[in-house]
Amino acid sequence: MLGRVKCAVAGFMGGIMAGGSSGGGCNPGSELPMKFPYMRPEFLGLSPDEIECSADHTTRPIVILRETRRLPWATGYAEVINAGKSALNEDQACCELVIARRRPMSYCPPSTPSKTPTAKRRNSLPNGEGLGLRLDHSKLGEDSEGLVFHYWALFDGHAGWGAAVVASRLMQHHIACQLQAVIEILRNLSSLPPTVLGEEPDTNPYLQGNPPGPHRSLTRAASLRGASGAPDSPCNTPPPPRFYTEKKIQHESLVIGAIENAFKEMDAQIEREKQVFHITGGCTALTVVYLLGKLYVGNAGDSRAIIIRSNEIIPMSTEFTPESERQRLQFLGFMQPHLLGNEFTHLEFPRRVQRKEVGKRMLYRDFTMNGWAYKTIEEEDLKFPLIYGEGKKARVLATIGVTRGLGDHDLKVHDSNIYIKPFLSCCPEVKVYDLAQCEHGADDVLVMATDGLWDVLSNQEVAESVTTFLANYDPDDLHRYTMAAQDLVMRARGVLRDRGWRITNERLGSGDDISAFIIPLMYGNHQP
Amino acid sequence: MAYAYLFKYIIIGDTGVGKSCLLLQFTDKRFQPVHDLTIGVEFGARMITIDGKQIKLQIWDTAGQESFRSITRSYYRGAAGALLVYDITRRDTFNHLTTWLEDARQHSNSNMVIMLIGNKSDLESRREVKKEEGEAFAREHGLIFMETSAKTASNVEEAFINTAKEIYEKIQEGVFDINNEVRHTSLCFSFLLKPLHSSSVPVFPLFLLSVVFQQCVWFATLPLS
Repeated sequence: MLGRVKCAVAGFMGGIMAGGSSGGGCNPGSELPMKFPYMRPEFLGLSPDEIECSADHTTRPIVILRETRRLPWATGYAEVINAGKSALNEDQACCELVIARRRPMSYCPPSTPSKTPTAKRRNSLPNGEGLGLRLDHSKLGEDSEGLVFHYWALFDGHAGWGAAVVASRLMQHHIACQLQAVIEILRNLSSLPPTVLGEEPDTNPYLQGNPPGPHRSLTRAASLRGASGAPDSPCNTPPPPRFYTEKKIQHESLVIGAIENAFKEMDAQIEREKQVFHITGGCTALTVVYLLGKLYVGNAGDSRAIIIRSNEIIPMSTEFTPESERQRLQFLGFMQPHLLGNEFTHLEFPRRVQRKEVGKRMLYRDFTMNGWAYKTIEEEDLKFPLIYGEGKKARVLATIGVTRGLGDHDLKVHDSNIYIKPFLSCCPEVKVYDLAQCEHGADDVLVMATDGLWDVLSNQEVAESVTTFLANYDPDDLHRYTMAAQDLVMRARGVLRDRGWRITNERLGSGDDISAFIIPLMYGNHQP
Repeated sequence: MAYAYLFKYIIIGDTGVGKSCLLLQFTDKRFQPVHDLTIGVEFGARMITIDGKQIKLQIWDTAGQESFRSITRSYYRGAAGALLVYDITRRDTFNHLTTWLEDARQHSNSNMVIMLIGNKSDLESRREVKKEEGEAFAREHGLIFMETSAKTASNVEEAFINTAKEIYEKIQEGVFDINNEVRHTSLCFSFLLKPLHSSSVPVFPLFLLSVVFQQCVWFATLPLS
């Protein structure tokens, strides 16, 4: 009964969004079935009624992790819906323990991505619920079947919730698939990743003194480096002569590469599945992977992650916006002018050029510049600038304010045939944080949140608020990080007064969807 | 699930008086002796019938602890009814009613119907607050009053439904501004309208949408006829 209601609600909401997100009019795509129904993060365990309550735009309840539920590492989570800009909360979140198995997983795409069939099956991965602190960390990361990694992610949807929901359900599996291909190499930290796989079976004498570990996948190239590179190498035989130099690739680069390719695969899957399912809009993606003692923060979009460690702030991501990516976008417009559809110019001017100014000299900048110079205005310069607006109002092709993310495959400039997607990148920037570099206390945390939070609170304000909150909260209460997240979201949302949502000092609160994870770092210190 | 009205309730009162248990008894018809502390807010919903009309109750169950007060205060908005709960076996929870009432009156609409509930009536042997005291407090402050037991389900149904009846009467009398306190939804489009209703001008989208809808139907049928 409840299930049926849920479907009905989801169906209806999907129907609404189908009309609303396509800018009105009839969307033929809306007749397709949905890949996934609308939902809130699985770990919240909300019923359809609760989801309906949580979508109250006037009261904007802050929804937090229930007391009976635990996330890995006692992670805290809180979210709030927007003040009315979209009917549903377009942020999505995921937090799971994921196993990358040694054997290929059924849902992994084959190695030729272009011919990948639709992933049909979700495998039953553990969701980490109830595992929280009771996990034996000495064994974590070394599941006999493969590698276990911790995973947290936020997706901020736009022009519909479809892409964000799909990404929040599937991204972790893409990361697992990519890692699966390099499990053996990642587990063998004693020697660098081989340049060429399977060149020669492991019969190499140079390696015999190395610490235990599976050597089978090693190649001669890796053995050579191990022998010549490591000062504590136990072998006495001089390495055989080499006739070329070779780049040394570290293990963590393989994890970074896996995450980058997972983003690409995720984006490709959304594009493919749009043919058969109704998937609206696009989304940003911010993922955190904890694997073998290190945190890997991958970001494509304008969400943000920072580490707060004994009052020090360490930024773990940078935002990708029309302003921060101006030169990449301008260069693309310059190289591929057809993408601008004869309506936009890749040059930037401080304001729109007026017809009467043709022939005068005006400030401009090109993709080669950070500074400004004067040029004589030509007819061509009257076109609308590719990048226009400042700060949060900056837009690419007068349409979108974020330049990396997933989805948006059929997003076009209003009333034109100009596609936005070529200017968007799904490639994340991955930053690495080695948890072993120092011991972390109970108040050292990683805060990740969607732009709803960062639009109104600075890193400094977030750090102060979290640090103060945690310092005054029972250190043994496992819910302290959720309480801190609730406090943080409350600070960014503010209180509804006569003139809208207000935060401290009468500043304007965030009217956007806000979602935040607070991840304590001390649980990552006891790595295998 | 179509409904004619959607009433939002908020349950308030000291921690441990049985707010969440009342909600669980009303929505799920069961009692959970050991209930986890509510942190922040939890939600429940149930459909009831008054005067032959389907009414959906959307119930916001708040945390009673002092530390949550600033957050729960923001949840009064839009509530048509409030259940103010105390525990008949703990006098202090009765003594705090004035503070709760002040909070409620300050942060909610003046027309909000408040039901005062003395909970745990099954624990007669440990009673610290007489029923007459509850009645007197309710009379003095213009509240409805009931003693309930979330454990035995005594009066739980009545508490929620009587509050709804009171709200319904106020609507009939025109006391309630239907656009602000309660949401009236045309039967078959209740889900559809819900999101629009939550906006700051709830009535206009409804009219606009119904107008648009009628036009659509009209235009759609025109070529066929």
